[in-house]
Amino acid sequence: MECVVQGIIKTQHVEALEILLQGLCGVPKESLRIHELCLKSAPVLGVVASEVRLLCDLEQPEPTWTVRHVGGAMRGAGAEQISVLVRTVVESKASKNVLRLFYALGYKLDHELLRVGFAFHFQRVARITVTVTSVDKMPKLYAIDDAVPVMPGIQLVEVTAPASSENYTEVVAAISSFCEYLAPLLHLSKPGVATGVVPTAVAAAASLMSSGGGKSF
Amino acid sequence: MASMEGVMGAQDQTQVQQQPRVEKLNLAVQQQLNLESVKTRAIGLYKAISRILEDFDAIARTNAIPKWQDILGQFSMVNLELFNIVEDIKKVSKAFVVHPRNVNAENATILPVMLSSKLLPEMEAEDSTKREQLLIGMQNLPISAQIEKLKTRIDMIGAACESAEKVIADARKAYGLGTRQAPTIVPTLDKVQAAKIQEQENSLRAAANFGEGLRLPGEQRHIPSSLPMHLVDVLPAGDGAHITDTSGMYPKNAPSNSINSQGTIPQSLGRSVPSPSAATGATSFDNTTTSPLPYANSPRSGTNMMNTPSPQQQAQVAQQQQQQQQQRQKIMQLLPHQQQLLAQQQFRQSPTPGLGQVHGQHQMQFSQPLAHQQFQNRQLQSGHVQHSIGQSQLNQGNQLRTHLSQFTGTANSTLFNTAQTSPNSQMISNISATMSSQSHLPRVQFGLSGGHAQRSHASQILNDPMFNMGVGNPSNMMPMQQQQQQQHGVQSGFGNMPGNAQNLQPGSVALQNASQNPNFQQRQQGQQ
Repeated sequence: MECVVQGIIKTQHVEALEILLQGLCGVPKESLRIHELCLKSAPVLGVVASEVRLLCDLEQPEPTWTVRHVGGAMRGAGAEQISVLVRTVVESKASKNVLRLFYALGYKLDHELLRVGFAFHFQRVARITVTVTSVDKMPKLYAIDDAVPVMPGIQLVEVTAPASSENYTEVVAAISSFCEYLAPLLHLSKPGVATGVVPTAVAAAASLMSSGGGKSF
Repeated sequence: MASMEGVMGAQDQTQVQQQPRVEKLNLAVQQQLNLESVKTRAIGLYKAISRILEDFDAIARTNAIPKWQDILGQFSMVNLELFNIVEDIKKVSKAFVVHPRNVNAENATILPVMLSSKLLPEMEAEDSTKREQLLIGMQNLPISAQIEKLKTRIDMIGAACESAEKVIADARKAYGLGTRQAPTIVPTLDKVQAAKIQEQENSLRAAANFGEGLRLPGEQRHIPSSLPMHLVDVLPAGDGAHITDTSGMYPKNAPSNSINSQGTIPQSLGRSVPSPSAATGATSFDNTTTSPLPYANSPRSGTNMMNTPSPQQQAQVAQQQQQQQQQRQKIMQLLPHQQQLLAQQQFRQSPTPGLGQVHGQHQMQFSQPLAHQQFQNRQLQSGHVQHSIGQSQLNQGNQLRTHLSQFTGTANSTLFNTAQTSPNSQMISNISATMSSQSHLPRVQFGLSGGHAQRSHASQILNDPMFNMGVGNPSNMMPMQQQQQQQHGVQSGFGNMPGNAQNLQPGSVALQNASQNPNFQQRQQGQQ
């Protein structure tokens, strides 16, 4: 299971966000360049088509593949009260012919995208990962070199943390409190809920970028 | 607190003095400053500050985290209040003199300095130098002129200060830093921009989470010739694989890649090929004769042919259907008895579960293929083949044998007719053209097993007459065994059938050839 929230930020404020995260997390940032292929199969068992995501990490000298299956989200009155999405997820490393395997199994490519950005991994009650990426689409199949951003002016921010059914409340609290630190720059919410930009983002970004820092009257 | 005391002392004094000097001072001062209100405000401020200090004490004692937002708010309130009080008093400070009531050790030394109106010597020196600087060019002018010039200077400086303040205020607004007290105006985005950003955000979230707007249409889904590094050795590039766009449709090439063992791409699995293609038939036949089925056991031993395990049968069927399609075409051109043997062997090897509906006829059919084999073996010059085939017949336990029994005797015209109506009329007419009745059956089975839909259909076709025959003439089977020599006669009963068959199958090669090729036999076994 994982807890996840998403938000958007204008591209011009990404640098300020990076400075803020650097200060909050205390770890150096990691570059991110992931080719994500979403495969879908015809429903062979039941009604719902099966969907699987293959992530190829292109940042390493040797590309590594990961298989990821995103399950249903937690539902119920309790789930609606918390501002973080809790959902089941299965992830595994895979060898490089995993794509061929899934094609042979009958899956077909539904869509693909390229995520370019950076990520911070740190430990605060839970192992939290913050990724700030520009989501790019490819004009032609597999043409990652020609990828263009889906929305040039906006980037996607995602805060995730793995959780289990026993401790997910603590993980949710940890993520929520961390997101409060980011409040001046962006607003984070469940993946399906739109947030808009934060009006204080400009000022907060300016203050973060300035060398003196802070307001002095 | 000294200033507070001073203020309160001044208030007391003025209050005391108000009684004797009522008229003059009070009016002037009261207009500018209401001393009572100043006193109240000062007391209130004092209480607020002491309250804040108490809160800090409590927080420090309980080690709680202070709510900085609230505390900062309180500080700003206190600050504002003090500022206002001081401002008000400054206006009338000239009217008052502040001095402590008692002279004690604390203020004995400083009191004369504070009360003197004469400037300190350092201050005097500063004052004179500044005065010189100021009047540097105007010493010789008359006083009024000096006054004028000084006034203009003051005005200029005032103007410069105002413009500077204006610039600072504008810059503050531009950066949204707000006024000094508190940002009362929160910078908001105008509606158009907000709507546009909302729209962009929704599409970005949809794209990242669900892939909306990222799906390429079918015609663009061709694998490019130059793949990125991480996909180069992963994808089967260059074989023209296409990924179809319609959901739910399996890519056609995917199974072809996996079942491509024979080197031919089936146009559709299980569908019979209506028109013989001689070229492919020739090549494929050669292929099949030379390369045995991968799943089959050793082709040499007849027993192994029969004992192919069932899990492999389905895959075998798929494989064999490809082969059989090619072989069918070849079979058209084969000699009749060769075809019989070939068909029977193939028939034996591809049992279809759909045809397993008849269970009660096993024993009856058992003899039939044996008889047939024996008949064929008569034409053969090698006896061991007969023996091996006979053994294979004995070991066979599948239901296909049930259908063999249908062709015993002469009353299988109904079966022949029904078989004619099936889509594999070619095969059946081909079968009918052969000398022996038993050869019909494997061919029929053979052709019908090619399609799933056809299987049940065929079995039903075959079942009815078979039941008729089986129930009616169980004894017909037995004579066949002993009457090997009489199979000629049996065949002659069908003598007219080849004629019919030829009418039905104008394209078939003459099937009346009687020459038997032992090599062909071997090859047939090799296929399986």
